Amino acid sequence: MRSEQESQEILARALGAAQTSEADAVFIAVDHDVSRFANSGVHQNMSDESASLTLRVIVNGAMGVATTSAFDPDELARVAELAREAARHAGPLQHFSGLYREGEPAPQLRTFDEATALLDPAAKAHDLRAMFDRGRERGVTFAGSWSTATASVATANTHGVQRYAQMTSSDATVIALSSGASGYATRCARSANDVNILALGDEATDKATLLVDKPEDLPPGAYDVILEPPALSEVFEWLNMIAFSGQSFDDGTSFFAGRLGEQLLGRNVTIADDAVDESFLPFPFDLEGLPKRRVALVENGIVRSPALDKAYADRLQLAPTASCWSLGSSEHGSSFHMAMDGGDATREELIRSTKLGIWVTRFNYVNGLLEPKTALMTGTTRDGTFLIRDGEVVARLPNLRWTQSLTEALNRVEGLTRERRRVGTWFNMFGGTLAPTVKIAGWTINAKG
Amino acid sequence: MKPPRELLEDVLGSLAGARLRYADIRWTATHQQHVKVRNGEVDHLSANVDHALGVRVLVGNGWGFAATSDVNEESIRRAAKRALAVAAASNIASTAPVVLSDIEPHVSTWASKFEIDPWSIPLERKIDHLLQATEPMRGDPRMQQVAGEISCYRQEKLFASTIGTFLDQTTTEMGGGIEAIAIDGGEMQRRTYPNPFGGDFQAEGWEFIERLRLAEKGLQIRDEALALLAAPKAPAGRFDLIVGSAQLALQVHESCGHPTELDRALGLEISLAGGSFLQPNMLNDFRYGSELVNIVADATIPGSIGSFGFDDDGVPAQRFHLIRDGMFVDYLTGRDTAPAIGRKSNGTVRAESAARIPIIRMTNINLEPGTTPVEDIIRDTKRGIFVETNKSWSIDDLRLNFQFGCEVAYEIENGRLGRLLRNPVYTGTTPDFWRSCDAVGDRASWQIWGLPNCGKGDPMQTMRVAHGAPAARFRNVEMA
Repeated sequence: MRSEQESQEILARALGAAQTSEADAVFIAVDHDVSRFANSGVHQNMSDESASLTLRVIVNGAMGVATTSAFDPDELARVAELAREAARHAGPLQHFSGLYREGEPAPQLRTFDEATALLDPAAKAHDLRAMFDRGRERGVTFAGSWSTATASVATANTHGVQRYAQMTSSDATVIALSSGASGYATRCARSANDVNILALGDEATDKATLLVDKPEDLPPGAYDVILEPPALSEVFEWLNMIAFSGQSFDDGTSFFAGRLGEQLLGRNVTIADDAVDESFLPFPFDLEGLPKRRVALVENGIVRSPALDKAYADRLQLAPTASCWSLGSSEHGSSFHMAMDGGDATREELIRSTKLGIWVTRFNYVNGLLEPKTALMTGTTRDGTFLIRDGEVVARLPNLRWTQSLTEALNRVEGLTRERRRVGTWFNMFGGTLAPTVKIAGWTINAKG
Repeated sequence: MKPPRELLEDVLGSLAGARLRYADIRWTATHQQHVKVRNGEVDHLSANVDHALGVRVLVGNGWGFAATSDVNEESIRRAAKRALAVAAASNIASTAPVVLSDIEPHVSTWASKFEIDPWSIPLERKIDHLLQATEPMRGDPRMQQVAGEISCYRQEKLFASTIGTFLDQTTTEMGGGIEAIAIDGGEMQRRTYPNPFGGDFQAEGWEFIERLRLAEKGLQIRDEALALLAAPKAPAGRFDLIVGSAQLALQVHESCGHPTELDRALGLEISLAGGSFLQPNMLNDFRYGSELVNIVADATIPGSIGSFGFDDDGVPAQRFHLIRDGMFVDYLTGRDTAPAIGRKSNGTVRAESAARIPIIRMTNINLEPGTTPVEDIIRDTKRGIFVETNKSWSIDDLRLNFQFGCEVAYEIENGRLGRLLRNPVYTGTTPDFWRSCDAVGDRASWQIWGLPNCGKGDPMQTMRVAHGAPAARFRNVEMA
């Protein structure tokens, strides 16, 4: 992590090296500790201190981008020349009104926790050791990872916009294994105090040991499913790529394309890009320096907006959504804080309301490219799949393969819990998914997975 | 920027202590350039340079790893101290003894070969090359997107270890491809050449891009994408399936490469990627496929992106069978996993960059060619489906149950390719599928495909691997 002064000095030197009337730059420094464990022992343990600078220049309305991890004057000059060369060869951006210049204040958000920044690998190892010991008492072994990070994120552009934020995160995943069965628990938060590794071990153990003596199979067919937040997170990550991104909207492959303002999903489905909810994983600005605000992607089933960087907001003549997480990326915007509104139920009430259904902990290896226009996806269940009969969880199911159109499924949401949980995503250091547990009717199960 | 050997060896020497069993230092400089055109415009132009240095230590039974992007002497020495602190933490919560397989020290230099340096080609020429390929594809109002991409990649790497190894390796790669997306109402079809997701990738220079002949293929994939809009849906049911080389390469990746990674089999990757149905007690005693199925790991193939001189344990690149005549005979291993099955490392441990811990990765994992020309396989098929080019992929966490969607399919009736079919999807379980293989195409249909985006590890590491495959036939496969 670097201070605001040091970060802005590096950015100022990069913008100076750009030698163009319009340029912006992002400087990110991350101290990242990851402890991976398997068979109830830490087997990979790392500490990475990295920093990178991305410089974007605009030449005659065209964009060029270059990135480096070295910041001496020679390297900055070289990077600037690479970016200028790229811009000279790129065509002008359609309808581009220039880089962000308004500079409205960014929201004041709690993104940093001192105790998390000071947490060292030894302290984490002691907590993990305690979890392993407790698992031995209950006859399970653990696999998973616990990552903590401290980062500084700074942006600046030639219009005088400057942003800086410090950020911490703690993200843990625990899988408990017992007698051929497994259970899963995950948490992520800005503060490590909100990630209790022992509690996660207990939650995963409960799932791994539940109904292990009552296995059943289920024939293929359409079933009511109760999807916990990690399962929803997997399909939302795909929706982000195939439906919510500026690129998929522009190229017409998104089911959003040409349908803004239409009721395409159920009225109880609201999904927002929400980095300003402090109970989620708050962050105050995007990497173009635009202040974050809550942006409805889907509101009561009506599709409202894709997630856009400024270039594509201009190109599509849509309101900017402050969704740039990589300068000049091919996605042209992405929702890194995907939040689904909850309902008024509890998970137990959803289970009780189900005559015949499946309770799903998480999905594995989802793929959303089968038919993007209907968001047809496939995947398997994993780490805790259970049969519900007459409102009771009665048996443990094997992993199941499913293939399902999400545009259809999200028209059949029959209930949502009030409680929502944060789920981290490996490619997203800024946010993740905030989702309730949902009950969806008629989910298509193909086979044992 | 390249740190001197003397400094790396001095830092290694400074780590010596009573409980230090092993240490290594890697440095990488990774250069990338990406050009994408879309609908007649330059859509994306970027250049990246990433410098990283990582120190890995084994103290007692605890591994420690520390990395920095700030490659100067002070940072390197600080990273070495952090690695020791991390190893001390690992010892608090590591339970299994770490056993390393033996290795000889090597001092060597290795570089992949190229004729025309990718960076010697001006950006303008790369853009023109893509526009010449994609512009003729435009015009039909249903052709929503035509796009082309060219990627350049070079990684320089130094490796020094406490057993006296010092390696200097450089890999240079290029990738390229084109894409056509046709949309008509609610129907969308995508055709790519030679492969989706940036095309094909080889450890070569600009000569590879020229050899792709993108401009000659553009109209073909445009026409196929448009024809697919109106083509009948591939039927559901059980069919004899002929899988083309590109799709079979991905099938090999998902259902042969990943399950033979020993770290997965030992449970070390369960938290993210998953485990493997291939357990050590099945070695030499499990029929994985028919006798025609020979899967070889070969990190020595010139010009392929799964090749290298030495892995990131300092073990020389090797060629060996994973599946021999249909029987499961070996895993991909590293120094710290091979002893678990009583073997030595076969040199498959790599990291995305020096900022990441090396883990077992695929190299070039190939289905060896058979003896039957593909035309003869088709002629010999009474009723079946031919599928090619991956569109969608999914497999369970033990690598058993899979489902693949392809861009294109053709009906086979009485030994002839017939109607074009859209949205083919086939599914099965790994051993059943490979045991049903009754014809493997000959060398003429065998091709090696570069996949630069294999994800594994935590933090996720994207690795560059490759797969050689011919076309092959599988009996009685379920189409969804």
